[in-house]
Amino acid sequence: MKMIFDTIRGRRLHSTSLTAGPRHTFNAAKLLMAALHEIFDEAAYSRFLTRERAERSRESYAAFLRENEIRVARRPRCC
Amino acid sequence: MRKTLHILIWVLLAVAGAVSIAVIALHRGEQINAMWLVVAAVCCYALGYRFYSSFIAAKVLVLDAQRATPAERLDNGRDFVPTNKWVVFGHHFAAIAGPGPLVGPVLAAQFGYLPGTLWLLVGAVFGGCVQDFVILLFSVRRDGKSLTEMAREEIGPVGGLIAYAAVISIIVILLGVCALVVVNALKSSPWGTFTIAMTIPIALLMGVYLRRLRPGRVLESSLLGFVLVMLAIWGGKWISQTPSAAHWFTLSATSLALIIIGYGFAASALPVWLLLAPRDYLSTFVKLGTIGLLALGIVALRPTMHMPALTRFIDGTGPVFAGRVFPFAFITIACGAISGFHSLISSGTTPKLIRRETETRMVGYGAMLAESMVAVMATIAACVLQPGVYFAINSPAGIVGQTAENATAVISGWGFPVSALEMHSLAQSVGEQSLFNRTGGAPAFAVGMAHIFSNSIGGQALMAIWYHFAIMFEALFILTVLDAGTRVGRFMLQDALGHVWKPMGRTSWYPSILVTSAMIVASWGYFLWQGVKDPLGGINSLWPLFGIANQLLGIVALCVATTIIIKMGRARYAPVTIAPLAALVLVTFTASWHKVFDANPRIGFLAHARQLSGSSANARLIFNDRLDAFVTGTLIIMVALILVESVGRWMSGERQSQVRESPFVRTRFAEEGQR
Repeated sequence: MKMIFDTIRGRRLHSTSLTAGPRHTFNAAKLLMAALHEIFDEAAYSRFLTRERAERSRESYAAFLRENEIRVARRPRCC
Repeated sequence: MRKTLHILIWVLLAVAGAVSIAVIALHRGEQINAMWLVVAAVCCYALGYRFYSSFIAAKVLVLDAQRATPAERLDNGRDFVPTNKWVVFGHHFAAIAGPGPLVGPVLAAQFGYLPGTLWLLVGAVFGGCVQDFVILLFSVRRDGKSLTEMAREEIGPVGGLIAYAAVISIIVILLGVCALVVVNALKSSPWGTFTIAMTIPIALLMGVYLRRLRPGRVLESSLLGFVLVMLAIWGGKWISQTPSAAHWFTLSATSLALIIIGYGFAASALPVWLLLAPRDYLSTFVKLGTIGLLALGIVALRPTMHMPALTRFIDGTGPVFAGRVFPFAFITIACGAISGFHSLISSGTTPKLIRRETETRMVGYGAMLAESMVAVMATIAACVLQPGVYFAINSPAGIVGQTAENATAVISGWGFPVSALEMHSLAQSVGEQSLFNRTGGAPAFAVGMAHIFSNSIGGQALMAIWYHFAIMFEALFILTVLDAGTRVGRFMLQDALGHVWKPMGRTSWYPSILVTSAMIVASWGYFLWQGVKDPLGGINSLWPLFGIANQLLGIVALCVATTIIIKMGRARYAPVTIAPLAALVLVTFTASWHKVFDANPRIGFLAHARQLSGSSANARLIFNDRLDAFVTGTLIIMVALILVESVGRWMSGERQSQVRESPFVRTRFAEEGQR
């Protein structure tokens, strides 16, 4: 459980340092969080910050939103 | 030894699946446990994924693990990003799973649980999953091109134009029907209306929180939004019990329709970050959580299904919507079995995230299986209700009468006993004044879901909370589809009008935004208004129209897929897409014929118009019937044209030289994998 929370909080853990059972849980939690970050566009914002060499701020987020406005607005949601 | 064990496991799965399907199909006159449906679905989906998708991947599409995907070649950190396959799977599933797999199976439950369940299993494994998988792969091999672009390039200009028109049409009809489902769920329900009204300021607050207070912390703000929505559900109870407050939120269907039309326009014209994006995040957050919760609830409770396998309404006299089990069960359940709309997602964002070509199988085929499982759960939620209760909720006043006594007498007369007292106490337990004539599927699903949840957590005391949670969950889904769809339609219209007058194509030019938003909202708003004013509840006319439009888009997608498979020189495997294509053609063309020309006024639009023609007071209803007949006819003609053009291509002997794939580039991920 602690590992899952650590993953959510973004603390660095290395799965190789764990035994098989916890390693699977750790990897699953990591994947789940990665999926959620992608679905909720947090990963896209992180990539934007890396690409632009910018810090997390109101201005950089506003720039990210401007850049992604059309992409987000054109994204259909199925029925 | 290991191989023998594998074979043994798959044989056991096949046997378990066969036994479950036999139980579902052959039991008559006694109730069965919902777990039979779950086991049948899990076994069929596992077998379909392991063997059929593997066959398609190896023999039909010849997936190439060495070939670089556009996400790798065109990686720009924005649209094209190589992403872990599980992450893409989650992303794709979140985009394809909407209200359709919940509402369609609930409506089709009027035939009993058997037709819908069999269609979900067969339709998904051999139709929907195949369509999503092949379109995703073909889009990946064409740098993430959209369905309309692929139709134009592979079939021809007529194909492209028709695909474009089909997409716009389906969006308009879809949005009208979705809005009608929300109106029917919220009319005269102060609790539900308050909860949903609160989601708008909550979304705005999330937008401001994201932009001003904690930039980019979307998960955090979604969690906050979820907590606020739960508080709104709790507050809704107080609103409904306080007459002075309840008065403001007790709205008629027409008032709600006007508010939703206004909302659709505002959501399309407001900045994305303020309303659309936060609402989308909130909806996705609630959606993923609730689907997981429902699955756990069903497995934990293992409820008994009270609906029979087949009801007398397979003969076409059903109160929920008119029409025989064939073809109407097959157009009522689209998402969950096969949905043309998915081809837009499979040729939209998803192909630009795929890291390896081989991963299209898991994402395209696998995510559709997951969606089909959601539809099976919706079938269970509807069928755990007593049939009398199900029909009392879903039957329009025009069929069963205005009063509780009339309605219960009519429904009991059909052989599904229900009493006014029973319905009254059920309405009270879910915090509603009445549950009669709540057509559209959403309230029946919410009652079923509340039944499952309240038997798992909290007991009857929480029944009302669970019911309104389910209503909020569905309405939130639908309103997200509504605002996202209005925007997508607006952009498509701007693109088209830009060819006529350039400034109209500028997506940030406000006059263009306002005009095109108004055009799209007016189009779906008209269908919504028509449904609200329909004495038969609207769903009877509009849901089949939506089903037809959606499946016609599926025909377009499968035409594109078959054309490409034949051009690839793999014509001997074309039956993989031709079989579901033929089934869809048969279903949609038959259904369209009935909807336009059937002599029964409850089914045929023109017969209904003729029935009403005696009185001038019915002029608007007659016009609506003729409009629906015209729309259905136009869609069918358009799709027939694309079908003819496609068959022409298949016969013309075009071969590999005409396949418009991006050139082969070797992937670096394969080398990484080998090291």
